[in-house]
Amino acid sequence: MKRMLMSAGLLALSMGTSAWAETLKLVEVITSPERTVVLQNLVDGFKEANPGIDVEIVSVPWGQAFETVATMIAGGDVPDVIEMPDTWNALYADKLVPLDDRIATWDHGTTLTEKTVAMGKLANGKMTMIPYGFYLRAMFYNKKLLAEAGVTELPKTMDDFMAASAAVSKLDGKYGYCLRGGPGGTNGWIMMAATMNGTNEFFTADGKSRINEPGSVAGIQFLLDMYQKGYAPKDSVNWGFNEIVAGFYSGTCAFLDQDPDALIAIADRMPAEDFGVMPMPVGPAGKAFPTIGYAGWSIFNTTKYADDSWKLVAYLSSPESNAAWSKRVGVIPIHTGADQDPFFKTDQFKGWFEELNSPNYIPTVMPTYLEEWGYFTSTVLKDTAQEGLLGQRTAQSLADEWAELLTDAYGNWKAKQ
Amino acid sequence: MSVQVRRSPLRSFGKLCAILFYLCFALFPIYWLVKISVTPDQLVYTEGTKLWPSTATLGNFGKVIFQTDFLIFFRNSLFVSLSTAAVTTLIAAAGGYAFSRFEFSGKRILVALLLLTQMFPLLMIIAPIYRIVAALGLLNSLPSLILVYTAFNIPFATFLMQSFFDGIPKDLEDAAMMDGCSRFQALRKVILPLTLPGLGATLGFIFTAAWSEILFALMLIRSNDAMTFPVGLLTFVSKFSVDWGQMMAAGVLALVPSCIFFIFIQKYLVQGLTSGAVKG
Amino acid sequence: MTTFTNKAPGGTRARTSLYWRYLVEPYLYLTPAILLIALVMLFPLIVGISYSFQTVNLLHLDKGGWAGLSNYADLWADRKFWLALENTLVWTFGSVFFQFTLGLGLALLLNTRFPGRRVFQALVFLPWAVPTFLTALIWAWLFNPVIGPLPHWLAAVGALSEPYNILGDPELAIWGPITANIWYGVPFFAITLLAALQSIPSELYEAAEIDGATAWQSFTKITLPFLAPMIAITVMLRTIWIANFADLIFIMTAGGPANSTQILSTYVFTTAFKKLDFGYASTIAVALLGLLFIYAALVLALRRKFVKV
Repeated sequence: MKRMLMSAGLLALSMGTSAWAETLKLVEVITSPERTVVLQNLVDGFKEANPGIDVEIVSVPWGQAFETVATMIAGGDVPDVIEMPDTWNALYADKLVPLDDRIATWDHGTTLTEKTVAMGKLANGKMTMIPYGFYLRAMFYNKKLLAEAGVTELPKTMDDFMAASAAVSKLDGKYGYCLRGGPGGTNGWIMMAATMNGTNEFFTADGKSRINEPGSVAGIQFLLDMYQKGYAPKDSVNWGFNEIVAGFYSGTCAFLDQDPDALIAIADRMPAEDFGVMPMPVGPAGKAFPTIGYAGWSIFNTTKYADDSWKLVAYLSSPESNAAWSKRVGVIPIHTGADQDPFFKTDQFKGWFEELNSPNYIPTVMPTYLEEWGYFTSTVLKDTAQEGLLGQRTAQSLADEWAELLTDAYGNWKAKQ
Repeated sequence: MSVQVRRSPLRSFGKLCAILFYLCFALFPIYWLVKISVTPDQLVYTEGTKLWPSTATLGNFGKVIFQTDFLIFFRNSLFVSLSTAAVTTLIAAAGGYAFSRFEFSGKRILVALLLLTQMFPLLMIIAPIYRIVAALGLLNSLPSLILVYTAFNIPFATFLMQSFFDGIPKDLEDAAMMDGCSRFQALRKVILPLTLPGLGATLGFIFTAAWSEILFALMLIRSNDAMTFPVGLLTFVSKFSVDWGQMMAAGVLALVPSCIFFIFIQKYLVQGLTSGAVKG
Repeated sequence: MTTFTNKAPGGTRARTSLYWRYLVEPYLYLTPAILLIALVMLFPLIVGISYSFQTVNLLHLDKGGWAGLSNYADLWADRKFWLALENTLVWTFGSVFFQFTLGLGLALLLNTRFPGRRVFQALVFLPWAVPTFLTALIWAWLFNPVIGPLPHWLAAVGALSEPYNILGDPELAIWGPITANIWYGVPFFAITLLAALQSIPSELYEAAEIDGATAWQSFTKITLPFLAPMIAITVMLRTIWIANFADLIFIMTAGGPANSTQILSTYVFTTAFKKLDFGYASTIAVALLGLLFIYAALVLALRRKFVKV
């Protein structure tokens, strides 16, 4: 008993003393074990350069990251620095430190690309995050399946894409498109709608959503057709990220639209000569609108260590750290000149850089600045799109419901500006 | 099921069919789990529907044991589940006994209150519980899980124990009390041995409930050192891919401690009444 | 019930004894349970229920404004709520019915003698030890035609027109999680009912046999009445528990396709943690609580009426 009391006392004492040393809490949300190792290495470098500052990395499982972080914050356990995905930014913007002044006096502030600064400011006009890289959509294709189906030329337009998918679907148990009908399918719907509509503007000048214009509806119909004609697997109505990627590398379906980060899983399981990446198919206007996403580092305004938190974010965002990070996590880097890196000049990245370098491919930023966007994409769009895929609703009725919601959300946002 | 052993062939055949049905139903999914755990990564999909992969490997088990923190997760889970099961069963046995043997003021309100706690989705009360746990300074520690799990499981376990006590004739302890035992002595010497199957079932139930719990384990624990096994499983589902082989291997390994625990309580489950042998 | 004629401990005077046994002694046994629940659950429960009368966002828990009954008015007009309620009934009673029937069968089987019974018992109880998360994943695999055999078997016996994934079919999807739940829950009923079976005095069966009762007669006249209290309580507790049990559905179908597997508890989850609307989520939860409370009251009343203990 005496010993127990003593050790309890010692424990309390040691906890008391450790509270003196400065510990920054860094929450990582887009997680995988390999990625955490990369981050840990970067953080170790930071600690070496800044003795006296300790950093605790908290990695929350990706599937439950949103709920976990929201609960942490609701429970009053707010981190200092957090990895901020674009879709969350608007929700947390009022709790984040604006970094504009700090970036203005930062050594590397000037080499940040225009896009990086623009997207960092998207939520409320202030730099509430420094993005660490971009995800751009392009089309993965399975060379073997296409050859088997007799498709000799890679589809360039939406019509080609439909025809090639139809050809592959004639093979037994094979399908054309790895459709994402489940969680996270938003990008596909928005991209197809924009491509068929020939513009990626979300709202008209008077604030009306363009998602139910005839062109956009044709884009939605395109995906409904893809599914209803049997060019996508029947259970793809439920598929999320892991299922579509698995559907692709297992050879179940031949086309997959994805970001560079999917390369990590696919390159592991498919020989490099069996697949390629091409630009997204173009619509009637000769243009395509692949979506572009991003994530970055943010500081919560409740932090007791604002200066040290900034030091950490600046360290992680420096050109050297960012180059190492973006290669390992599969994003396009944020500093000018990074695209000259030989790593990005390989064939693997061909599809993405073709999109970046041609005027016919216009990267589309999702309106993540809308507070209702997160719920719209995670729940409303998913549920209603599934109703559409299953033939319970028409493309027009989906588009009308989305348009009404988006127009309202845009109105709310405008009112706050 | 009755005492008389009638060896009509039709009956035996029916019984055999029932035994086989239950075995297949219970074991086939577990067999599939084992199958995936020994399938090399490249064959998971290409030989997806085969009953056994063309080449099997134990590599996934090696990786889980030596390259991940799963042994720590197991230890944590085991500690939490065993403690929860023991503490809950003890408290619930006392509560169930009171419900079964006494008629007292406030009983109905108490029953209603206990039931109420089971009817409201726990996820709605995560935020306040998070604050309580933080205020107690228990955040990120295994005792926080034991505390929370015990509280969650007490109502369920109490009702379960009550039913077991209800099944034991009151004459038994009355007789013991006539003989000069106090009520507590009667409970300990006469009633408790008779409820061993009930205690075993309750222990088992609480153990598995704690063993599977994921929501609070996810919310209240941050560090790897205190992570429990189900949350560890979640980490295999990353943003980029799912490591099915390793995940299933970890799942198979997780069955081992549970099996040992079940074999242990099995003894109590089947050796119920001290008076009679197992009925046949 | 214990009667007044029983000798009270210590043989004190009747007045003290009554006081002791009605107010003090039962609470001695109940104190630990009450204390713990009061500490951990009571306050959060009150807070949780109070959300339903407010407009609260998870990220701004303290900034909630009182909303009166407006959440409830919204609920009444919510198409998705009624759909989820319907699915909850199918999910709960579908699961409980099969879990109970199969569990009772298994308990009766285990209560007989046959070679290898111990090993058999250990094996059939295994599903209970598999964590929910893993259960959901295994069954999602089994139903997937690329990596699981079930669709091919179902197609071979003509139950499906072609081997496809029933989890993607709005008509059938809910039976996927229900099957997983049955698999997972049968051992619970089997174990509790077996434990109850074990405490039926074997003399009763011997006497029945001497009187020439058939197996069916001794089942309905001895076994069922003895099991009745246990059946009532376990069925009730399981119903409550399963109605609130969202994990399997969440992992297997996430409420899809097109809300065909959306039950009230998954709806609570998405409303609370995707929409962050804690006020409305709590309203749905309170509605579920109300329904379960009525159900429990009915079962307890029935139990009091038919079970004489």
